[in-house]
Amino acid sequence: MATQAAHASHAHAHAHTVKRYKGLMDWLTTVDHKKIGILYLLAGFIFFIVGGLEAILIRIQLMKPMNDFVAADTFNELITMHGTTMIFLAAMPMLFALMNAVVPLQIGARDVAFPFLNALGFWTFFFGGVLLNISWFVGEVPDAGWTSYVPLAGPTFNGTHGVDYYVIGLQIAGIGTLLGGINFMATIINMRAPGMSFMRMPMFTWAIFVTSILIVFAFPALTVGLVALMFDRLFQANFFETGSGGNTVLWEHVFWIFGHPEVYILILPAFGVISEVVSTFSRKRLFGYSSMVFALVLIAFLGFMVWAHHMFTTGLGPVANALFSIATMLIAVPTGVKIFNWLFTLWGGSIKFTTASLFAIGFIPTFVLGGVTGVMLASAPADYQYHDTYFVVAHFHYVIVGGLILGIFAGLHYWWPKMFGRMLNEGLGKLTFWTFFIGFHLTFFVQHFLGLLGMPRRVWTYLPNQGFDTMNLISSIGAFLMGIGTIVFVINVIVTWAKPRNAEADAWEDGRSLEWSIPSPPPEYNFKQLPLVRGSDAWWKEKREGKTEMTPAEPLGPIHMPSPSILPFIMSVGLFVAGFGFMYHIYWLAGLGILITFACMFLRSVFDDHGFHIDPEEEVHA
Amino acid sequence: MSSNHSVSGEEARRHKVEGPQKHIVAFILSLALTIIAFAAVAAGDINTTFTYIILVLMAIIQVFVQLAFWMHMKDRGHLFPIICIVAGVFVVFMMVIMAVYWLWW
Repeated sequence: MATQAAHASHAHAHAHTVKRYKGLMDWLTTVDHKKIGILYLLAGFIFFIVGGLEAILIRIQLMKPMNDFVAADTFNELITMHGTTMIFLAAMPMLFALMNAVVPLQIGARDVAFPFLNALGFWTFFFGGVLLNISWFVGEVPDAGWTSYVPLAGPTFNGTHGVDYYVIGLQIAGIGTLLGGINFMATIINMRAPGMSFMRMPMFTWAIFVTSILIVFAFPALTVGLVALMFDRLFQANFFETGSGGNTVLWEHVFWIFGHPEVYILILPAFGVISEVVSTFSRKRLFGYSSMVFALVLIAFLGFMVWAHHMFTTGLGPVANALFSIATMLIAVPTGVKIFNWLFTLWGGSIKFTTASLFAIGFIPTFVLGGVTGVMLASAPADYQYHDTYFVVAHFHYVIVGGLILGIFAGLHYWWPKMFGRMLNEGLGKLTFWTFFIGFHLTFFVQHFLGLLGMPRRVWTYLPNQGFDTMNLISSIGAFLMGIGTIVFVINVIVTWAKPRNAEADAWEDGRSLEWSIPSPPPEYNFKQLPLVRGSDAWWKEKREGKTEMTPAEPLGPIHMPSPSILPFIMSVGLFVAGFGFMYHIYWLAGLGILITFACMFLRSVFDDHGFHIDPEEEVHA
Repeated sequence: MSSNHSVSGEEARRHKVEGPQKHIVAFILSLALTIIAFAAVAAGDINTTFTYIILVLMAIIQVFVQLAFWMHMKDRGHLFPIICIVAGVFVVFMMVIMAVYWLWW
């Protein structure tokens, strides 16, 4: 092990002489999936803080009746930007961070299938997100809700540039997500190490595989919807303008055809993280592996035929509502399978209560609560009562925060040593967990009852003495507690940064999958020799047989690496510039932006890039 | 990566011997389908239902010929592209049918 680490560090040192860039330029030009993962994490976390601050402002406004902390129009902007930022710019990038950091390592690959596309995906997401948030500085902020329903979001009722920022920002960020989905699908299908059949893949990789398929099928619907809305808003088209023969319900369909798979895109990776963490810290193999895989695929399949349950009150008719009710309730079955499999994995395991494991164990009952309210909402007649109340708000925060965000925190604490080579402080980690977890339930549990009492969602304020006062105060206190939890996490990261980079390869000592068989953080090429996978939980199997490293599947030789490139960055800047050009009808600027992007595409196509070689035997060929 | 290099001897032989013949058949088939479509339009009135049916039918067959022969869908190792195409067609059709049924019927 020691010699391997020495080899790795030598090769690493030499690799730097081959690299064309250092410092900031290294990060701007990197195509290394590990660095892109860190970039995704950094950008996603910054947007998470922004969205979190918006949430705190919302909760301060709702803390007491008849409050006027923010103006009513600002409140609309806050809720719109909170939802949009959290889903598209915080949650998804943090998932992409984990995907990038872990999936290639778990399948025993040296990088993703298309490293250049990976970098392009990050930069388009980043510039899309920046464009969306520039709206705050311009003073014209999207204010039609994260669902951006027409006609409210249409040009007739929303004359400012606010929703334009939503449309263009999401369109550019959406390109990044779509590229990521295609990339990970190709990576998982084609780049698995010898011996790693589909049914030997770690559960996180399976979850990401299914998620990528969902992205590839669902995101085009959003793209089409946004293009239609963009044409309505910028070029006086009439897709959604009823006065000119358009149809507003069409937007609802298109948005939710994308939107429902989107919520599974968010939650399935969290399922994957929980599977890994629960199994590692129970020191047992995952219970019911094949049923877990089947459940993932079934959830993904059903996820495409339930979108109309977001539209029960639109007036589709009793037959459609009944069908979509049943289809929605069916999803509870595979989800229940997963819940029970986690419980059976824990059962009889020798459980270690690390921070990651606490987040995972906290996830299970929390997600069950969100799932139960989901089945309640799936019942169409009852939904007429719940519709557009705080009950819905409580439900989706239970599945997204209580599911996805707890999953992301579990994953970050679990894979932090693999990503950065440093263990996070367990004491601070547990403090993060307890403040965040208690704060979360304090915030959202009471919102169920607020909803049942009839408090509508998306209201700026409410009158006193309707039974809303106390629960709103409790909810706001909980939100502050979640804020404190997040701050503790940031402190944890900063404190840990000052410590030496000394994490073990198998940082938790109970690692089961391939990422724990290589140094933390891994060398640039991940695996000196591609490993031979001899069963599921490949690394655990080798350890059980007394081995200290994986059996290599190939002789030592020069390793082919992709070269770094600045083109993805410039390409995304081009789209960013073009976005502003279109938005403000400055067509020469739009043309310039498009020209920049196409010029980059031209350069990429015309000049062959053969990459370079790293020789683990300390020879470097440029 | 590895799958590109692991072409077995048997597979390589099959590519050499059978490849060109299959492609010539596919090429002639594609041409024939195109000629039929053009002929149907050239032969008479373009607005007859019969012409429509012929055109759509030729187009559908053409799509399958293209996918099977030129996009190599008939070969082994193309299960994923086939699954994805079928799934994509399914999703799109379902959505278009639903939208038309609910919005404009």
